[in-house]
Amino acid sequence: MITFNKINLRNILILLSPIFINACSGSLDLKESIAFESTYAPDLSITTLITNAKIIDGTGADTFNGSICIDQGKIKKILSNNILNDKIEAVDINCTYTNKIDAKNRFVTPGIIDVHSHLGNYPSPSISAHNDGNEITSPITSEVYAEHGVWPQDPGFDEALKGGVTTLHILPGSANLFGGRGVTLRNYPSRTVQGMKFPEAPYTLKMACGENPKRVYGERGGPGSRMGNFAGYRQNWIRAQEYQEKRNSNRLNTSRDLQLETLADVLDGKILVQMHCYRADEMAQILDLAKEFDYKVTTFHHAVEAYKISDILRENDTCAAMWADWYGFKMESYDGILENIPFVHQAGACAMIHSDSDSGIQRLNQEVAKSWAHGNRAGLNIKKEEAWTWLTSNPAKALGILDQTGTLETGKRADIIIWSADPFTTYSRPEKVFLDGQLLYDKHNNIYPRSDFRLGYGVK
Amino acid sequence: MIRIFIYSFIIFIFLINYSAYAKDLLITNAKLVIDTKTFKENLESNEKLPTDYTNNIHENITIYQSVRAGSDKTITVFFKGIEADYIKEMLGDTDYVIKDAEGNWVTSGIFAPYSHLGMADIGGEELTNDISSPGSSTTISEKASDSFNPQSVFVANNRRHGVTHAVISPTAAGNSVFAGTGSIVSLTGKYNSVIKERAFVFAQLGEKGTQNSGGSRSASLLQLKEGLNTALCNDFRNCRNSLERAINNININSSISNSESEYLIRVTRGNIPLIISVERAIDIIKVINLKKTFKRLDIIILGASEAWKVAEQIAENNIKVMIDPHNNLPSSFETVDSSLKNIIILDKAGVDYAITNLSALGLQGIGTLTQHAGNAVANGLEWHKAFAAITSTPASWFNLSLINNSLVIWDGDPLNITSTPTSMFIDGQAQSLESRQTLLRDRYNPVNESEKEHKYR
Repeated sequence: MITFNKINLRNILILLSPIFINACSGSLDLKESIAFESTYAPDLSITTLITNAKIIDGTGADTFNGSICIDQGKIKKILSNNILNDKIEAVDINCTYTNKIDAKNRFVTPGIIDVHSHLGNYPSPSISAHNDGNEITSPITSEVYAEHGVWPQDPGFDEALKGGVTTLHILPGSANLFGGRGVTLRNYPSRTVQGMKFPEAPYTLKMACGENPKRVYGERGGPGSRMGNFAGYRQNWIRAQEYQEKRNSNRLNTSRDLQLETLADVLDGKILVQMHCYRADEMAQILDLAKEFDYKVTTFHHAVEAYKISDILRENDTCAAMWADWYGFKMESYDGILENIPFVHQAGACAMIHSDSDSGIQRLNQEVAKSWAHGNRAGLNIKKEEAWTWLTSNPAKALGILDQTGTLETGKRADIIIWSADPFTTYSRPEKVFLDGQLLYDKHNNIYPRSDFRLGYGVK
Repeated sequence: MIRIFIYSFIIFIFLINYSAYAKDLLITNAKLVIDTKTFKENLESNEKLPTDYTNNIHENITIYQSVRAGSDKTITVFFKGIEADYIKEMLGDTDYVIKDAEGNWVTSGIFAPYSHLGMADIGGEELTNDISSPGSSTTISEKASDSFNPQSVFVANNRRHGVTHAVISPTAAGNSVFAGTGSIVSLTGKYNSVIKERAFVFAQLGEKGTQNSGGSRSASLLQLKEGLNTALCNDFRNCRNSLERAINNININSSISNSESEYLIRVTRGNIPLIISVERAIDIIKVINLKKTFKRLDIIILGASEAWKVAEQIAENNIKVMIDPHNNLPSSFETVDSSLKNIIILDKAGVDYAITNLSALGLQGIGTLTQHAGNAVANGLEWHKAFAAITSTPASWFNLSLINNSLVIWDGDPLNITSTPTSMFIDGQAQSLESRQTLLRDRYNPVNESEKEHKYR
């Protein structure tokens, strides 16, 4: 099985790129890599020191009191007060800053990452003209890119930022077996999608199990059953293998096929599979499908029954993205339990929260808090800090960006939330949200983004 | 003090007389959360209490409840500063259940102001879904209680979250703005758990109403007015003779039949509320204006995303609102001015409001009501007002005294996301907090050390 390793792949690309440029400038890889390139450019000029912070760093380590030094948008240094002697702020000594913030013993955490969102491609207002999230014209649409349907003026982005969301993954909808490419965005107020694109984040492929594809296509040529779903996956992976082979052996003479290019890139380990799948037995069969075609399922989304196969998920190193308490709206979601996330976590598998909702995305900390509490009530003994990994580090892992964000560690992007109180209570809300060290939301100082759409109406 | 004890004694005689029907309930050492009015009316105390109960949280309370299921003879008394042992002594041989709350929060149950609980098994499966009846020729005469299955798994799944009572409502379908008649149920799961069959009539305006009535707000509002007119006219007090009735009926090309309108008469008389779903500020004003013609209407607005813009008018006309304090996005053009400050402004204007969880509402959703109320607090509403908005306030709209019919013991602040009920009593009966969800949980719990295959656990 291919194990995706981003660093190695990137190194390989860096090594090969000049050769392609010089020798074969029409190469597939090169064309693809420059298409719709990220123009994300936060203001990195402000150097900030956050002191007196009660830090949950996202690694699972215990909460500690300390200071965070932000320079050039990165965490330059993070020091625990415990290491030092009482009131000496060593960070103060080593950090040259233009802006100092006293967190006054408030909780400070990494920015939240939502691994499943449709902000921008199903934006507010939810009118037919805005249905750009799913190409419901064929069960196989791996040629489409979610980013081409994203409207950066969705007011939902602004509200999600106020809820502490700094990175979010926008996926195509789930009508199709192969839905298309997902895109990882910085929640940065921008006029363009390119201005939000997470630099160098890998592309993802949305796939879907179960009821949706067979319902949508059952009377439109199929698939009309779960059997048809699997046949559809297999037939197209076979096509992708052939394309991959052709591309590898005779790169220059292969005409580009966007649909198969995406699938072949999955087989090459460059694109991460994000698969909508509710039922336990179905996830287990999908993992066998992945073995048959030698690719990896990075994450099951809406994995309502993940708790039934948490051991299998662990063995396959496949993550599960779950809701805290959504269930029962269709048959494949009927067996949802409130302890799903903690049970999967307890089994040693990679568990995380996800919203799939423009409302839920604003309070993901609460969704984690209630899951965590239910899990411990059922007899587990999970620390808050471990549960925090469901909000930031595990989603970062699932998106291939854990080396850049998801925890508060030296060298990572300074994506930071200062909370009004313990984020495991309902009454705590983000007071300040930083993206790459830039303060984008400050509750008490009237700093917040406001979509063009909001202008001219009553809400300020 | 003597007076108090005499008073108490009288109550106990009363209780003993009726205790043959069900066991009474004594909860000791409670941190009681209840609205001030109910508390004062039910309080027995030998302590001098402060007159201002703004936080509505009272510690060291003993609660005595004598309940007759569905009966008005229910009595609940709170004791402060009187030893539980003394109360036990006074109760003597009375058959009662005692529960030590161990200092934990005790409240009435949660009252869901709007839901479809028990009206469908799987929302997405048409055959199992009785929430609306698009192919039916009747509307208002249909009552939600006839579609209610008290043994739906969602009843127990939501009971576990502290919900003891719920409004259940159909939704409008076909070509009518009238959805039908809604009911009040308790969450005991028993066959007799419908408390009020005809509790209110539900109509839908706004975008939903325009769809059903032919395509415009003009049409939907007209249809609603026609229905109310027909009811007024058919009410003997308003149409003096059969001739006049006939004339009116001919003149009013009503969207509802005479027989259907019979079920609206209680609405036009103001005996039961008319719930109207509507969002946009100007549409809310139109609803307020209905009261000029139909003076006795008891209107509750559901949704009301832009209510904050017309809060004063809503208050002046005694219109009630059910809102979701999570709603803050311009999800549609009729909710462009949704705002988290909606509930805060309505509160300041003196509007009577209940909190719903419309944004999260499905069959399974009412358990999250406490979270929605908690977020209203996070956004600036006083705790006791948010709590009343999911308990006593909406219950009172349907003449239900919630505290007399339900008690819940929690493991923490009920509005905080990490809290959950540990015990529940409805009509004096202890309720199971087990549900299909907890059974699935127990079967797959990582701490379950069973060696057996899952299907044998």
